[in-house]
Amino acid sequence: MVGRKKRKGSKTVVNLVLGFICLLWLIPTLGLFISSFRPAADILQTGWWNVFPHQEWKKSGESIQLSKETDLRQPIEVAGKTFSDDQLKSGVTVDGDRLMWENRRARTLSVMEQGWEFKPALTLDNYKNVLSGKEYKLKNADGSETVQKGSGLSQAFWNTLTIAVPATVIPVLISSFAAYAFAWLRFPGRKTLFVVIIAMLVIPLQVALIPVLKDYTSLGLNGSYLGIWLAHTAFGLPLVIYFMYNFISQLPKDLFESAFIDGASHFTIFSRLILPLSVPALASIGIFQFLWVWNDYLVSLIFIGNQPGVQVMSMKIADLVGSRGNDWHLLTSAAFISMLMPLAIFFLLQKYFVRGLMGGSVKG
Amino acid sequence: MNKTSGRKWSLLLVLCLSFTMVLSACGGGNSASKNEPPAPTNKEVSGNDQGGANNGGEGGGSPLDLAMKGEYKGTKVTMFGPFVDADQVKFENSIKEFEEKTGIDIQYEGSKEFEATINIRVDGGNAPDIADFPQPGLLASIAKTGKVIDLTTILDQEKLKANYNQSWLDMGTMDGKDGKIMAGIWNRSNVKSLVWYPKKQFEEAGYEVPETWDELMALTEQIAKDGDAAWNIGIESGAATGWAATDWVEDIMLRTTSPENYDKWVKGELSFTSPEVKHAVEVMSEIWLNKDYVYGGTKSIVTTAFGDAPAPMFDNPPKSWFHRQGNFITSFFPETAKVDVDYDWFYLPPIDEQYGKPVLVAGDIYAMFNDRPEVRAVMEFFTTGESIKTWVQSGGVIAPMNDAALDWYSSESDRRMAKLVQEASTLRFDGSDLMPGQVGAGTFWKGMTDYVSGTATLDKALEQIQAGWNN
Repeated sequence: MVGRKKRKGSKTVVNLVLGFICLLWLIPTLGLFISSFRPAADILQTGWWNVFPHQEWKKSGESIQLSKETDLRQPIEVAGKTFSDDQLKSGVTVDGDRLMWENRRARTLSVMEQGWEFKPALTLDNYKNVLSGKEYKLKNADGSETVQKGSGLSQAFWNTLTIAVPATVIPVLISSFAAYAFAWLRFPGRKTLFVVIIAMLVIPLQVALIPVLKDYTSLGLNGSYLGIWLAHTAFGLPLVIYFMYNFISQLPKDLFESAFIDGASHFTIFSRLILPLSVPALASIGIFQFLWVWNDYLVSLIFIGNQPGVQVMSMKIADLVGSRGNDWHLLTSAAFISMLMPLAIFFLLQKYFVRGLMGGSVKG
Repeated sequence: MNKTSGRKWSLLLVLCLSFTMVLSACGGGNSASKNEPPAPTNKEVSGNDQGGANNGGEGGGSPLDLAMKGEYKGTKVTMFGPFVDADQVKFENSIKEFEEKTGIDIQYEGSKEFEATINIRVDGGNAPDIADFPQPGLLASIAKTGKVIDLTTILDQEKLKANYNQSWLDMGTMDGKDGKIMAGIWNRSNVKSLVWYPKKQFEEAGYEVPETWDELMALTEQIAKDGDAAWNIGIESGAATGWAATDWVEDIMLRTTSPENYDKWVKGELSFTSPEVKHAVEVMSEIWLNKDYVYGGTKSIVTTAFGDAPAPMFDNPPKSWFHRQGNFITSFFPETAKVDVDYDWFYLPPIDEQYGKPVLVAGDIYAMFNDRPEVRAVMEFFTTGESIKTWVQSGGVIAPMNDAALDWYSSESDRRMAKLVQEASTLRFDGSDLMPGQVGAGTFWKGMTDYVSGTATLDKALEQIQAGWNN
C-alpha cells in the first residue's frame, strides 16, 4: 500500500513537471499566435500578454501645465516636489497617481490613474494579407493611385504539396526495399555497403549543393519538380534507410522462414509481410520526412528557385516580408498558416508516431 | 516458384520503365523550355555581333532596335535579383510594355537570399542571363572569376557616355580575369544623404531648414531646449545590425575629407584608425552620444530597428524631428503620411565648405552572364530611362540615366532628389557596399554597433574594424 501511494505521488510530480515543461515550450508559440491577430503598430509597442485583462495607467484627463520657460536639464519642480526629466519621461508615481509628460514641448504633464484594460485590439488583417495577397498601391504618372493585388499563398501551397508528397513517398519506398535487403538478404559487401550509407549521415548536405547543381544544369533538371524530388530523396535516404533497417531487422525471423518454405518469393514477403508489419515505422518516418521537406528552405532555394510557378511556401513567406523587411508582422500569421499542414499530418498519423519511434530505438 | 518469380520480374520491369518514362518526360520538357543554345553557337554569335556593333548599323541596328522590330519574338531572358514583393510588382510593370512590343519574355526571379545564392548559381553553371546586384562589391568578386560578360564591346559606348554621368560608368568598370572590364550598367539608384523631417509641424514650429552643419547643430540644440530629441536613429537590423551607422560615417567622411581620401578609404589604403576616419566618427558622436539629441537616448539606437526608427516623427506632436536615411525609407513611413505635405527631406548640410556638396548614393547594377542576342537587347533596354519609367513614377527610386526626364517623378520630393544627384559636386557610392564583405558587411557593422552601445571605445572599435582587412 505504502509503495503504491508513493508511486502515485511521484507520478503526480512527474506529470506536474511534464506539464510545466510543456507550458514553457508552448508559451512562445502562444505568443506568436496572439501576435498574429494584433496590428503591427501594437506589436511594436506592447507585448502579446497585453491582450489579457490587465491593469494599466490611464489618462485621468487632468494635466498640469508648467511654465513654458522650464529648463528640462535642471530638476523640474511640480507641485512642490522636484523631479528629474528622466523620471518624468518614464513616469513617476506620486500619491497613487502617476505623473508623465503629455507634451514635453508644451511642458504639460498628464496625471494618470490605474485602471483595468479589457478590450484588446485584434484584427484579421494579417491573415487576410497573407492568404489573399497584399495590395500594392502604385502611383500613376498623373499622381492618381491604382491598387494592384499580389498573389496569395494558394499557389505556393499546392507547389509545396506537389513537392512534399513524392519527396516523402519515394525515399520511404526505396529505403524500405533497401532496409529489407540489408536486414534479411545475404549478399557480398552487405556490411560495407551499410556502413557506407550510415557514414553518409554525417555528411552535411551543404557540401553537395554546388556539385549537384552542376549536374542538374547539364541534365536540365534545374527548377523542375523531378529535380527537387530526387534531391530530397537523396538527402533523406541515409536516415530513412537506417531507421527502417532498425525496425525491419527486429521483426521475428521465423515469420519469413515459414513464408519462404511455403514458397513465397522475396517480393511477396516484402509486400505481404514486411509492409503491413512496418506501418508504424513507415508512418513515423513519413512524418519526419514530410516535415523536413515541408519546412525546407535551402534545398528549394538552390534547386527549384523562386519562380512563381514552382515557388514553395517557405520562400513565398520569406518574400512576403518585402525587400527591406517592412512587412515583418505578416510572418506571424504566415507561420501559422504554413504550420496547418504538418499539424494535420501529425494528428492524422500520431497514433503510429510513438509506436514507430519505440520500434526504432529499443533493440533486442 | 516459377510463376511468382515471373510476376516479380514483370512488376520490376514495369516499375523501372515507368520511372524512366517519368524521368525522360520531365527532363526533356525542361531542357526544351530552357531554350538555351549550345555553347559553340553562342561564341559564334558573339563574334558576329561584336563586328556588327563596331561597324554600327550594318546589321540593321543595335540589338534593341532589332528587338523592337520583333526579331527575338518568343525568346526568354532570365533575370535574378534581390527585390521581391512590392518592388517586384513595380519592376514587372516597368518592363511590361517592352515585353509586349518585342515579344521577349523577361522572367524575373526575386530572392531575399540573393547575396548568398548568386555565387552558388554562378559556380553551379546555372547563372541567370542577367543579375541585379545591389552591392557592386559582390559583383566585383564574381567579375574576377571571369564569368561576367564584358559589356565594353556589347553596348554602344558613345550612347552610354551620353546617357550616364561618368562616375556611374566608372563605378561599373571592374577588374576582370584579364584586365578591366565593364561588368555592369546601372539601372536604379537611391540617394542616401537625406534628412527626413515632418514638414507641416516643422513649419508650424517655426524652424528653418539648415543650410550648414553649424545651423543643423544649432537647430538640434534648439529642439532639445524646446523639449524634444531632434534625431531618431535606429541601427538594429537582425544579422545586419550596424549598417545604418556606416552610412552616417560615409556621409560625414565625404563632408570632412577629400573624395580622394574617401576612395582610398574604401579601397583599404586609408586605415580606419587614421585621423580622418576618427574625426568623422567624432563628428557623428556629437549627435549620437548626446542623449538629449537622440530620441530614446543613445542606448536605444542599437535596439531600435532601422525601419521603426522614423515612427516618432509621425506622432502628433512629433516626438522627434530628423531622420537621416536613404529614400527607400519612405516605404516604412505610415501609409497615411503624404509626401511633400506631411514629410519632406533636406540635404544633409556640408561640414567643410571646400568639399562642396557631396552626395552619397547606392544603386543596383545589372550584369550579364549569358551572351545571346536577346539578352543583349534587354541589357541595352536597361540602359534607357524608359526601362524604369513607371517605377520612377510610382516613387522610391531615382533613375541614374540622363534621358529620364525630371517630370516623370510624381512627387516634388523625388524630383528634387533626382536634381540633387544630377547637380552633386561629388557623387560617391555607399562605401560599405564597395568594401570587401568581411569589412563592409562585417567588422564595419559590428565595430560601429560596439562603439555606439558602449562596449568598445572609439579607438578600440576602429582597430577592430580595421582588423577586418587582414582576414
